[in-house]
Amino acid sequence: MSAATAADAPIVVERLVKRFGAFTAVDGISFRIDRGEIVGFLGPNGAGKSTTIRMLCGLLRPTAGEARVAGFDVARESERVREHIGYMSQKFSLYTDLTVAENLRFFGGIYRVPAALLAERMRFVIEMAGLTGREEALVGTLAGGWKQRLALGCAILHRPPILFLDEPTSGVDPESRRRFWDLIHNLSSGGITVLVSTHYMDEAEYCDRIALINRGRLVAFDTPAAMKRDFPGGELLVLECDVLGAAFAALEAAPGVRDVAAFGNTLHLLVEDREGAIAALPGYLADKGVAVARIEPVAPTFEDIFVQLVGRKEAA
Amino acid sequence: MRVRRLAAMARKEALQIWRDPRSLLIALLMPFMQLVLLGYGVSLDIKHVPVCTFDREASQNSQDLLKHFQASDYFTIAAVIGNYGALTGAIDRGVCRLAIVIPPDFTQRLSTTGGAVVQGIVDGTDTNTANIATGYAQAVVARYAAGARLEASARQGAIATIQPVAMQSRVWFNEDLESRNFIIPGVIAMVMALVGAELTSLTIAREWERGTMELLISTPVTPMEVMLGKLAPYFAIGLIDAALCLAFGVFWFGVPFRGTLATLFLATALFLVVVLGIGYLISVRVKSQVGAAQIGLLVTILPTTLLSGYLFPIDQMPVPVQAVTYLMFARYYVTALKALFLKGAGIVDLAAPLAAMALYAAAIAFLAARAFHKSLD
Amino acid sequence: MFGRIWQIIVKEFLQLKRDRAQRWRLIVPPLVQMLIFGYAATFEVYHVATAVLDRDQSLESRELISRFAFSDRFRIVEVAQTDRQIRSAIDRSDATVAVVIHPGFAASLRSGDTAPLQVLVDGTDSNTALIALGYLGTIVDRFSTDYAADLARRGGAAARAAPVNVEFAARPWYNPDLNGRWFFVPGIAGTLTLMLIVSLTASAIVREREIGTLEQLMVTPIRPAEFILGKTIPFFVVGMAEVALVAIFGAVWFRIPFVGDLFVLLLGTALFLNSTLGLGLLISTICKTQQQAFASSFLVLNPFFTLSGFGFPIASMPTVLQWFTYINPLRYYLVVIRGTFVKGIGLDVLWPDMLAMAALGTVLLAASILRFRKSLD
Repeated sequence: MSAATAADAPIVVERLVKRFGAFTAVDGISFRIDRGEIVGFLGPNGAGKSTTIRMLCGLLRPTAGEARVAGFDVARESERVREHIGYMSQKFSLYTDLTVAENLRFFGGIYRVPAALLAERMRFVIEMAGLTGREEALVGTLAGGWKQRLALGCAILHRPPILFLDEPTSGVDPESRRRFWDLIHNLSSGGITVLVSTHYMDEAEYCDRIALINRGRLVAFDTPAAMKRDFPGGELLVLECDVLGAAFAALEAAPGVRDVAAFGNTLHLLVEDREGAIAALPGYLADKGVAVARIEPVAPTFEDIFVQLVGRKEAA
Repeated sequence: MRVRRLAAMARKEALQIWRDPRSLLIALLMPFMQLVLLGYGVSLDIKHVPVCTFDREASQNSQDLLKHFQASDYFTIAAVIGNYGALTGAIDRGVCRLAIVIPPDFTQRLSTTGGAVVQGIVDGTDTNTANIATGYAQAVVARYAAGARLEASARQGAIATIQPVAMQSRVWFNEDLESRNFIIPGVIAMVMALVGAELTSLTIAREWERGTMELLISTPVTPMEVMLGKLAPYFAIGLIDAALCLAFGVFWFGVPFRGTLATLFLATALFLVVVLGIGYLISVRVKSQVGAAQIGLLVTILPTTLLSGYLFPIDQMPVPVQAVTYLMFARYYVTALKALFLKGAGIVDLAAPLAAMALYAAAIAFLAARAFHKSLD
Repeated sequence: MFGRIWQIIVKEFLQLKRDRAQRWRLIVPPLVQMLIFGYAATFEVYHVATAVLDRDQSLESRELISRFAFSDRFRIVEVAQTDRQIRSAIDRSDATVAVVIHPGFAASLRSGDTAPLQVLVDGTDSNTALIALGYLGTIVDRFSTDYAADLARRGGAAARAAPVNVEFAARPWYNPDLNGRWFFVPGIAGTLTLMLIVSLTASAIVREREIGTLEQLMVTPIRPAEFILGKTIPFFVVGMAEVALVAIFGAVWFRIPFVGDLFVLLLGTALFLNSTLGLGLLISTICKTQQQAFASSFLVLNPFFTLSGFGFPIASMPTVLQWFTYINPLRYYLVVIRGTFVKGIGLDVLWPDMLAMAALGTVLLAASILRFRKSLD
C-alpha cells in the first residue's frame, strides 16, 4: 500500500499491544480498514476484541504499538479522535433514568450538534430505532432491542465518519439482531466506516471483511467469501446419529477423519475424501454400535473456520 | 471549554437529581430534620435543675434561703431529705443534680467573719450542668445574702451596710443568652457540609457503577466540563438550602439575623465550593457508591461538629487542637455565620475567615479539576 | 441447628477478615473520635479573653483587676484606654468579657456607698458567657466580702458589724475536677457502638439480598431464625470489642477511673447491643439496596444520637423530644456506662435502665424477625 492510501485510511493499527500487569490482552495486532467498510471482529470472550476497540477510542492507553483513527494518533491525540467517532460500549451505557429524548438531547449537546440540525437528527434516530411516539419514555423501561437501536442512534447523532460497536447485538433476540445489521448496512452505504465486534459467528456473513481474533492475536483478516473458499484442511461433512458420545469417540480414531467437532446434536467431520467417507463411515460406526441417520456435505460456517484456523495456529 | 457541553452535563445531572428519591431526600428533608433536631434537641440552656435540700438547722433564716432556690427558675426542688444516706441515694439515682446542705449553725455564723457556709454537693458526671448549676446556685445565695444584709442593718438601725461592689452586667449580641441563637447558625454550616458532600460524593461513582461513564469518556467532553457541569446543580441546591435554613432559623426559631444577605451569600458560596469540591474528590477516588457515601459523612460531620467551633468553643481547646482547627474548613464558615447572625458583621469584619475560605476553595478546586481522568485505567 | 448457625458465623468472620476497609473502619474512626472528643469537646471555661479599662487607677481598682488577672478563669488580653477600644475588642471577638471601672470607684467604696462595676459580655457563645458571668460574680463577691471584712477589722468595735455573708461552697461528687473528658469519653462507647452496629448489621444483610446470596441461602434447610442469629452474633462480638476498645483506651490514655462493677457494665452492654442489633435488623427488612440501607441508617441514627443525652442534657429538651428519648436505648446505656465508670453505682440503682433496654431489645428483635420472615415470601 502506498503512503497516501495508508494515511487516508480511517483506521490504521500497527503492532498494537496492551498489557494489564502480567496479562497480555492484545499481542501485536496490525490491520488497516478502508473507508466505508464494515469490518467484523470475531472471536471468543476474552480474545481482546473489546480491549482493542477501547484503545482505538482512546479509552485505554496502548502499552506498545501505534494506531491512527481518522488520521489522529490514539495515544497522543485522543481528544481529536473522540470528535470523529461514535461508540457503542459492550455494556449498555445510556442513562436509564432519563427519557429517550433527554438522552438524545444530552449527546446532541455533548457533540455540539447545531440546534437546527439536532431536531432533524433526533427525528431520524427515533424513527430508525422505531421509537416514534415513545420519546418521553424512560430508557430503563425499554426492552433489549429498542435499547440497542437507541444506543446506536446516540452514537450517530453527530454523523461521525467512523463507528466502533462493541458487541452491540449480545443478548438481543435474532429478529432484532437482523434489524440491527440492516441499520449498519444503511450507515455503511452512506460512507461510514464501521468496526463491529461480536462473538456470534453467523454475523460474520454481514461484514465486508472479518478479523478473527484469538488470545490477543489476529488469526486471519479477509472477506468472508475468501475465508470460506480457502477453508483449510479438507472437506466438511455433517453427521447425525443416535449415540453422539460413542460416535464422537469412534470417529476421532477413524481413518481419513481429520477432525471431529460437536455442533448441537450433530457432528461436523473434517475428512480428506468426501465421497469415500460418506461411503465408509456409516458401516464403520455400525460396527461400533452406532446407527447413522444422516451423513452429507455441509458448507463451512465461521465457527468451523475459526476452530480450524485457531487449531492450526496453535499446533504451529 | 465549550458552554454547550457544560450546559448538557448540567441539565443531565439536574434531571437525574430530580428523579432520584435519595438525592431529593438529602437535599430537602435532611436540612429540615437537622434544624428541628438540633434546634430543639441541642440546648445548653440549663433550666429546672433538680435539687435536693438538706436543711440541718431548720430555722427561719435557712428556710428563707431555701425559698430563694424554690423561687428561682433555674432550679426545681426535687426532694427534701433528712440525712446524708438519703442524699447519697438521691444523687446516685439521679433524683437531683445538686444537693443544698445548710449547716446546723447557719444563723449563728451569718454575721461572723467568713460568714455561713452553705454546702452544694453537685453531681460531677455531667460537667457542663455541674458548672452552670454551681454558678446559678452562687447567684441565688448571693442574692439571699444581699437581702439578709439589708434586713440586718435595717434592724440594727445602722447605716445600711451595703454590698461594697455591685456588678452590673450587660450582655451583647445574644442578650437572652439563648444557646439556640448560636447553635442554629452552626447547624446551618453542618447542613451545608452534609448536603454538599453527601450529594456530590456519589456523582462520579454512580456513573462508573451504572456503566454510563465509559460512553461519556468516549465523547469530546473535557474533565473540566464534567466537573463544572456536574457540580452546578448541586451548587444551586446548596444555595436554596441555605436560604431555607436561614428562613427557618429566623422565622421559626426567632434567631436574630443582623448581617446582610450579600455577605451571607458570599460566605455560603465559598463554603459550598469547598464542600462540593471535597465531595467530588471523594467521588472520583472512591469507585463504590456505598464507600463514597460513608467517607463523605466521615469527612464532613465529624470535623464540622467537633472542630469548627460550632458547639465547643475553640479557644477552650488545648493549644495543639486549636492549631488543628485552622485546617478545618468549617471553622471559618461557622465563625462567619455566628458573626453575621448575632453581631451584624460585614465583609470587612469577616475579611480573615472569608480569605481563608477563598484559599481553601481555590486549593480544592485545583485538586478536583485534576483528579478526574478520561480513561479506563 | 447450631451447626448451621455456626457455619454462618464462620462465614461472617471470614468475610470480615478479608475486608480490610471494614477492619480499618472499625478501629480508626473510634480512635479518632475518642481523641477529638477527649481533647476538643469541652464545655469548660478557662482563660476567657478579657479586656479591662481602669479609669479610676486607684489602689482598690488595681486590686480588683489583679484578682481577675490571677484567676485562671480569665486572661487579660487588652488593657484599654478608651470606651471605643473596649467596644471594638468585643466586636472583633478579641475579648469575650470586658471589665470597666469608672472614676470614683475607690471613693465610693471608702465612703461606704456601693461602687458599681460595669461588665460587658459577648453573648454569642451563650454557654461560655453564662459560665463566665458566674465566675465574674464570684470574684466580685469575694472582693466585696474581703473589702468589707477588712474595713470592719480596721474600724474595730465601733465600726459597723460585719456584714451578713453567705458563701456557697460547691463540692463535686464523682468527678472532683469536673473533667469534661470523664463525661464524654465513656459516652462515646455508646454512640460509636450504636452507629457502627446498626449500620453494619443493616448493610450486611441487605448486601446479601442485593447480590442474591440471600435467596441462595433460603433455598437451603436453614431457617430464618438461624440465619438471623448467625448474622447477628458476629456483630454482637464486634460490638463488645468496640466497647472494650473505648473503655480500655479511655482508662489507659485519658486515665478515666472505672469505679464500678464490671459485671454490671457487661450486662448493660449486652442489653444495649441487643437493641442496636434489633434496630439494624429492622432497617434491613425495609431496604432492598445498600444505598437505601445507608440512607435509612443515617436517617434513623441521627435523632437517636442527638436526642440521647450524650452531649446535651435531656432535661433541657422540649417535653415532646424528652418523650422520644424513652424509646432510645442509647439514653439508658449512657446512664449505665457513665454510672459504672464515674459513679460506681450498681444494679440497685440501674435496674430500671437495664429493664428498659431489655424491653426495647426484645421488641425490636421480635418485630424484625417477623418482618424478615414476611419479606422472604
